[in-house]
Amino acid sequence: MNQAVISCLHANLPAVEAVLKDIELQGITNITCLGDLVGYGPQPNEVIELIRDKKIPTCQGCWDEDVVDGLDACDCSYPSQLAEKRGHFAHQWTTDKLTKENKDYLANLPYSIRKDKCLFVHGSPNSQHEYLLPDMDAFAALERVENARAEILFCGHTHQPYIRELADGSIAVKIKNAAPKDIQEKEIQLPMRRIVNAGSVGEPRHGGTKATYVVHNEVTNEVKIREVEYDLELTCKAIIDAGLPPIFAWRLKNGFEFAEQAEDASHVCER
Amino acid sequence: MSQVWLISGSPGCGKTNWILNTFKNYSGNCGYLRLGGYSEINLEQAINSKIDFAFLKDQIHNLLDLSISNSISEKDKENILIIIEFPQFFIPKSQGINGVDLRIINELEKYNFQPNRYLHFGRDPELSIKDTLDFRAIESISLDLKKHIWDPASLNTFWFELVNGAYGDVYRAKALMNLPDGRYILFNWIVSQQGSQYQTLNQVAPLNGRPERCSEIVIQGKNLNFESIKSTIHNCLLNDAVLDHHQTSLRNSQLQTARR
Repeated sequence: MNQAVISCLHANLPAVEAVLKDIELQGITNITCLGDLVGYGPQPNEVIELIRDKKIPTCQGCWDEDVVDGLDACDCSYPSQLAEKRGHFAHQWTTDKLTKENKDYLANLPYSIRKDKCLFVHGSPNSQHEYLLPDMDAFAALERVENARAEILFCGHTHQPYIRELADGSIAVKIKNAAPKDIQEKEIQLPMRRIVNAGSVGEPRHGGTKATYVVHNEVTNEVKIREVEYDLELTCKAIIDAGLPPIFAWRLKNGFEFAEQAEDASHVCER
Repeated sequence: MSQVWLISGSPGCGKTNWILNTFKNYSGNCGYLRLGGYSEINLEQAINSKIDFAFLKDQIHNLLDLSISNSISEKDKENILIIIEFPQFFIPKSQGINGVDLRIINELEKYNFQPNRYLHFGRDPELSIKDTLDFRAIESISLDLKKHIWDPASLNTFWFELVNGAYGDVYRAKALMNLPDGRYILFNWIVSQQGSQYQTLNQVAPLNGRPERCSEIVIQGKNLNFESIKSTIHNCLLNDAVLDHHQTSLRNSQLQTARR
């Protein structure tokens, strides 16, 4: 049985509709969303309402949290003053546009969703703001999955889809007791763990403009990254019509994310 | 004996770099003057920017600024090479000095310069023709950024967006920018080349406030969105509090390094 995992929708309604259509065409009914329904994009209420109507289980993303809490978006994750100012503008715009009902919906989203051996989070099991990058240190990556007691950790936030297998892992523990020479050692072999990043539906960061998501076969454990074309012009027009900065449309149209990724993307916001 | 050369060409053709190399290979005194050139129908000249002189002066310390009257002493006049640069879209109709635009000749009279050589990029074979583009329509904008200091990461983003068409079709862009660590960087881009040239100049400003030196950006192209460029640049510039924070941190770091 296949399940689809979508993430980082960023208020891009045409992209969300195209991805849901692609999922439907494959006969998949089991969908999980990893959050960031809003932020930068022009149709936050429409995207939230679509996800709510379809009753898609959804985790809270960093933008969802920031918009609801009335906090500024995580400033320390902005790579530049320019990105920060653009982010703050988008944050304020989104906060002003969202209905109270939709804010309440975002506020009540869980940080994580567990389904058997799979854990679904926005950033990492530690924080919605932590980036699990495809090339992060293998030990740190394994630690995130193992501590979350998951076999497969589904995440988003980086906007870069990837599948990372962590094979032949082990944990060695060495304890020196008070008595001299009384040293105990133990090594635990770990089964293969995986981190699957679903990429982004509404703000891709894979060098192209297509929306991405993943399909996981729960029987064979096979994971496929899917890319979906959508009506980019429609989204760009909606950005301009909504009064958002035209540079957002230009960046999206050219396959660049709205705001560049932080130089130290591995940081965890400790706000 | 002094020599006075006139050098012209379309925007971005390489006039200033050619002049720099010529001065570097000349053993006597060097003097420089930049004229603004003249706009033609649909072809707008940029303002007469100080970027080129600031760049050349940084590279040639004893370069004389001929835009200042009485900048040449009688002693300096001996064996001096004077180069006068001006942008010009069209190829001169005649060879040599006879091809100089009369408006330029008239302008030179007030400086009392008698040119004895005239070279135009795209006409004279001793000059490169690599970037001599034939512009049919061009508009120009420029901003004086004196005393302004950029957030380095924002500058990187802005320049990338600018030369990739986010604010209109840019054919040519050059700028001299201040960074909070005192660096002074020349940015140079022309549509016919891949990538931008970046050159950190020799001058380093003290880590204390805002430098007085020339800082400008000149952009030439078509359908340029001036308001959007201005507002983006505004979002990239550091305010006093942030600048002070950066400079204090850099000063402390320099002190710690010196103590080791």
